Amino acid sequence: MELKTIYDAVVNGDVQEMQKLIQEALADGIPAETILHEALISAMTQVGCLFEAQEYYVPEMLVSAKAMQTGMQSLKPLLASEGTRSDGKSNPKAAFGTVKGDLHDIGKDLVIIMLEGAGFQVTDLGVDVSPEKFIQAIDDGAQLIGLSAMLTTTMLNMKGTIEAFQVAGVRDRVKVLVGGAPLNQSYADHIGADGFAKDASSAIRKAKELLQ
Amino acid sequence: MDSRERVLLTLNHKEPDRVPYDMGGTVVTGIQAKAYSRLRKYLGLPEKEIVIIDILQQLAQVDEDVMERMGLDCKNISPRSTASFKIDLKLTPDGRYSYFYDEYQVGWRMPVDGGMYYDMFHHPLSGNITEEDVDRYTLPDPIDPSRFGGLPEAARKVLDEEKRALVIGNISAGIFELYLWTRGFKDGYTEWAENPTMAKKILRKYSDLQLAYWERMFQVMDGIPIDVVQMADDLAGQNGMLISPVSYRRLLKPFHKEMFDYIHSKTDAKIFFHSCGSIRPLIPDLIEVGVDILNPVQVSAANMDSAALKRDFGKDICFWGGGVDTQNALDERHTPDEVRADVRKRLQDLMPGGGFVFNTVHNIQGNVPPENIMAMWETVQECGVYHN
Repeated sequence: MELKTIYDAVVNGDVQEMQKLIQEALADGIPAETILHEALISAMTQVGCLFEAQEYYVPEMLVSAKAMQTGMQSLKPLLASEGTRSDGKSNPKAAFGTVKGDLHDIGKDLVIIMLEGAGFQVTDLGVDVSPEKFIQAIDDGAQLIGLSAMLTTTMLNMKGTIEAFQVAGVRDRVKVLVGGAPLNQSYADHIGADGFAKDASSAIRKAKELLQ
Repeated sequence: MDSRERVLLTLNHKEPDRVPYDMGGTVVTGIQAKAYSRLRKYLGLPEKEIVIIDILQQLAQVDEDVMERMGLDCKNISPRSTASFKIDLKLTPDGRYSYFYDEYQVGWRMPVDGGMYYDMFHHPLSGNITEEDVDRYTLPDPIDPSRFGGLPEAARKVLDEEKRALVIGNISAGIFELYLWTRGFKDGYTEWAENPTMAKKILRKYSDLQLAYWERMFQVMDGIPIDVVQMADDLAGQNGMLISPVSYRRLLKPFHKEMFDYIHSKTDAKIFFHSCGSIRPLIPDLIEVGVDILNPVQVSAANMDSAALKRDFGKDICFWGGGVDTQNALDERHTPDEVRADVRKRLQDLMPGGGFVFNTVHNIQGNVPPENIMAMWETVQECGVYHN
């Protein structure tokens, strides 16, 4: 079987077929690593492009993500060990949450799904996350922190969170990526973030760029 | 010219004496309680207990003294929801959130420390559900008499004594919003693409609820002229639509058409439709299904420039909102002069030929200082006059 079939199933959100297709590919001797990178992850990259081009919207993206996650479930036991890649390097670690006071998580959740689809190990810190909890995640090894806020009122807490990283002496150990409806690049610069992304797809690009 | 005449002229695309001004005429054109409390103090009005008319958004009831002082032209008289239902506010064991369940069994919570709104934490139809689960899920009674008690008298007072435009709200959020609130955002959006049959079944249930409510409302109002009916369904985000225009047309538009046709068949009221975000791709569809007024005209969203919207759609739809860029020109980060400059631009773009009711983009948020609210108001008094 061709990997293109699995790739297409993810792009088209064919959740029902995923398990069967993965089993067929494995039976044909295609390594799990190859299926992961060349079919699942590259398909999600394509989904991100379709989203940016406004050919896909949130529903289509979520169904593709569901197909990808179904495929991942079948592959997981076969992958060398979680968090490592065939080239021996470990996958980058990230932790995401909405800042203190903000309870809106759909944007953050989409970014996490897409980042996992791109091979990141992501800890979801949830909503209304205090600076202390983000700092704990940095102590636990996160190389990238994602701060999300949907409101002009709560985005102000991003500044305090980044300041808390400085006070705790952990600011230099991480890259900080910010996003959410009311944000823009100049606000991100103003509060001293390392990067800003306007949607889930550009967040993935930015995350990779920051950790290079 | 009284307030009602002013609003009706502009809604019929004619220029009145000045741009009508709304603050509190709907639950999406109001003012948050903290900002309202500061505004009253700034205006030197007597201290009084602020009545919350929308607990989720913490919206204040705009009192008569403020309405008179600011010359507000529109009034909402509807009991938005609840009726006999009473909200039972509780604290989480750790003391971090206050929370409650609404009459649709959706759970809402707000951080005790610095919270400004309630947000959802529980969705009664989340997870893997069957058609039977949807049938079993009970909705509140849309025609419970306590919802309508006193409404005709209140409406008469608005029309005959206050001579303001009369706005009546819906029983609940829009049917698509209610679908996402009860189903949960992730499950609801996924289902939208994966199992549209189930999505339509749920929408049918909510649409029937609203149709029953409107039928009773028109009976109760018995010939009292309603000027504006307020509807909503948030369909767009900051950068674009939340769902594809194709799926809107296939799944949701038929329900909107059915509801708006019914409302237009029963009343001369204009239909006010609220959707945040970059809604531009759907404006022709909304005009087609009978929407007369677009709100909140989120000028900071993608492709929502006020001048272009007026140029392309101003003949066919009125704008109620878009009077100031709430995200980028109104809150505490901005000076009154910055507010004035943005309001002047929006007036220039939106007021020619009528078809414009002044309001901020969505409710005035809790972090807007009274100086900025009044800078906005003064600019409208000064530049919002028609010279015809």
